[in-house]
Amino acid sequence: MAMTDFTIISRSLTSRWFSTVTTILTVAVAVALMIVLLSMRTAGQDAFQRGAGNMHMLVSAEDSALVAVLNSVFYASAPRRAIPWSKYLEISEGLRIPWEFAIPNQQGDSYRGFPVLATTEEFFTKFQPHPGQEWSFRDGRPFERPFEVVIGSEVAQGTALRLGDEIFLTHGIEDSRQRRIFGRTDETTMTPHVHDDYAYRVVGILERTGSPHDRALFTDLLSTWVIHAHDVRRAEDPSVRMTTEADLRDADRLITGIYLRVGTRPGRAMSAGQQQVYDMLRRDTTITVADPHFEIQRLFRIVSNIDQVFIGMAGVVLLSSGIAIMLALYNTMEQRRRQIAILRVLGCSRPRVFGLVLTESALIGLLGALAGVVFAFIGMIVVAELMKQTLGLVIEPRLEPVWTFVMVMASILLAALAGLIPAAAAYRTAVVAHLRPLG
Amino acid sequence: MTTPPALDIHELRFRYAGMPSTDPVVDIPSLKLDRAEQMLLNGRSGSGKSTLLYLIAGLMEPQGGQVLINGKNVHQLQGEKRDLFRGRTIGMIFQTFNLLQGFTALENVLAALMFSDLPPQHHRERATALLDSLGIDRPNQFVERLSIGQQQRVAVARAVACEPTLVLADEPTASLDPENADAAMDLILNACIETGAALLCTSHDPSLASRFGRCVDLSRLRVEPELDSTTLEMSTDRTRRDGGTTID
Repeated sequence: MAMTDFTIISRSLTSRWFSTVTTILTVAVAVALMIVLLSMRTAGQDAFQRGAGNMHMLVSAEDSALVAVLNSVFYASAPRRAIPWSKYLEISEGLRIPWEFAIPNQQGDSYRGFPVLATTEEFFTKFQPHPGQEWSFRDGRPFERPFEVVIGSEVAQGTALRLGDEIFLTHGIEDSRQRRIFGRTDETTMTPHVHDDYAYRVVGILERTGSPHDRALFTDLLSTWVIHAHDVRRAEDPSVRMTTEADLRDADRLITGIYLRVGTRPGRAMSAGQQQVYDMLRRDTTITVADPHFEIQRLFRIVSNIDQVFIGMAGVVLLSSGIAIMLALYNTMEQRRRQIAILRVLGCSRPRVFGLVLTESALIGLLGALAGVVFAFIGMIVVAELMKQTLGLVIEPRLEPVWTFVMVMASILLAALAGLIPAAAAYRTAVVAHLRPLG
Repeated sequence: MTTPPALDIHELRFRYAGMPSTDPVVDIPSLKLDRAEQMLLNGRSGSGKSTLLYLIAGLMEPQGGQVLINGKNVHQLQGEKRDLFRGRTIGMIFQTFNLLQGFTALENVLAALMFSDLPPQHHRERATALLDSLGIDRPNQFVERLSIGQQQRVAVARAVACEPTLVLADEPTASLDPENADAAMDLILNACIETGAALLCTSHDPSLASRFGRCVDLSRLRVEPELDSTTLEMSTDRTRRDGGTTID
């Protein structure tokens, strides 16, 4: 095989491997940072939209609408305030609003750190975790009777639970600091209280939805009311052995949220009367009404200010990586002048010498960008895991193809620009002066 | 049509910027080298021998005169054309070899062939054969790991790789001991004979004169328009005429 410009460039890079590798790493880190931040923007927004699904409104007793959405939809932490059942009946039936669904739910229990959502069967038949995407069971069926539980795909993966397994729920969320919602911890041990008088049986395992609901367990409201009422009754009278629906008092029938959807025409996502309903509900000061999609956008507006700062910083890092390339090449130019002079004697023209240095620089940019894509992918997996653990956001660790392409091209272009000064120095190399014997 | 000489110099004058025009470093009224002819250009250190070679190779610009190689005026060619012409027509050998460090012996020869008009698919074959004929048994060894003698052979192979019209050797034996210098000179002379290249070799060592068909003292060229070996007496008095300016 004949010698090519590429042979000369690759030799030049490998002969100074330490400088080459560190420069490539500098570019890679900058590119990875940019790709992760830019991809996360899109992925994050998408993930946030997934949780709220096809609901129009969320009713909660939380103080702020954003907190209500984060807690009731994203399981950030269990809601602290409860809504009495009578309020639910008033909203779902008393106001004569043509609801498509009004799904009550209650949070507060957990199983091995995974939150439990006590709700009704409508959660599976009417609520969609992502608009247009129905629930689908990998195994089993929805709960039909008390003390049956359905588990999300992440729970199945994390706990290895199978159909027919029996579990006991824990009061509060084990790894959350806010576990005192309706009840208390065991005073003596200060450990989370386990509702060990009532076992739940796993009857269904859900397919992955890419929403925060993947890491939740679902059961019926009645069972949840019973186990909590049982605790209260036992505290009052230790001889109580059993609690049934008949023992429930109004104070036991509590929920923490209502997922609402106003009836729409077929194929429409929104209803004309939605705003009116929203305004009407907001007049009730005992509840907080949130439009989850609006709240998510609002959150994103806040976050996007921050991530613009991050992206700006990543841009500065990228720019300094360009300077690093320029310095790496320029500093070696003194050692390379003899090589350049020899090539000139052999017939290499000044423009070709210029091109060699510029290509070498662009190649560092390309290699840095490719390494950056790999780093970004690893980074995305780490960030996605962190988001899942802390916010309950399920983010696909996927690099946005457009941003990845843009960043690879930008990195090559930046590197080529950084190579201009060293290339010009190479172009101007005085041949005769550098052919003379050393010393 | 007669074949033009390998090298034909007329009224070539060169001085460095800031030097008086009356005292040029190079001042050659006429010098001709036939095809495949081998000439030793003798002169003391600083007499402008290297400068003359760089002028011939088109790496420096003269103030006047012309250098024709193969009938082509080197200094009339501009930029890339001149570089390519040099790569294809002239081979250069240096005192310190000037090999590409970090490249193998084979790659050093291939680097010269990159700019030749030989089809790329024949480059490796040509380079390997050349190195083999010059006794390099480890063509894939990095040049800095080769002995001085072997580096010299690689430098010779590289100079003749493109089958040039003219080989310019600048003090090629100056850094070698007398025994190795003899062997190196043999190598250069034979390589040029085999490839049909004319050789213009500079040296400050008059003892090399006997190896060449023709010897010229650079200082004498300035007063006598054309000299050949029959009229040239290799004088040890190389300071007969002052006016040489140290350039190295």
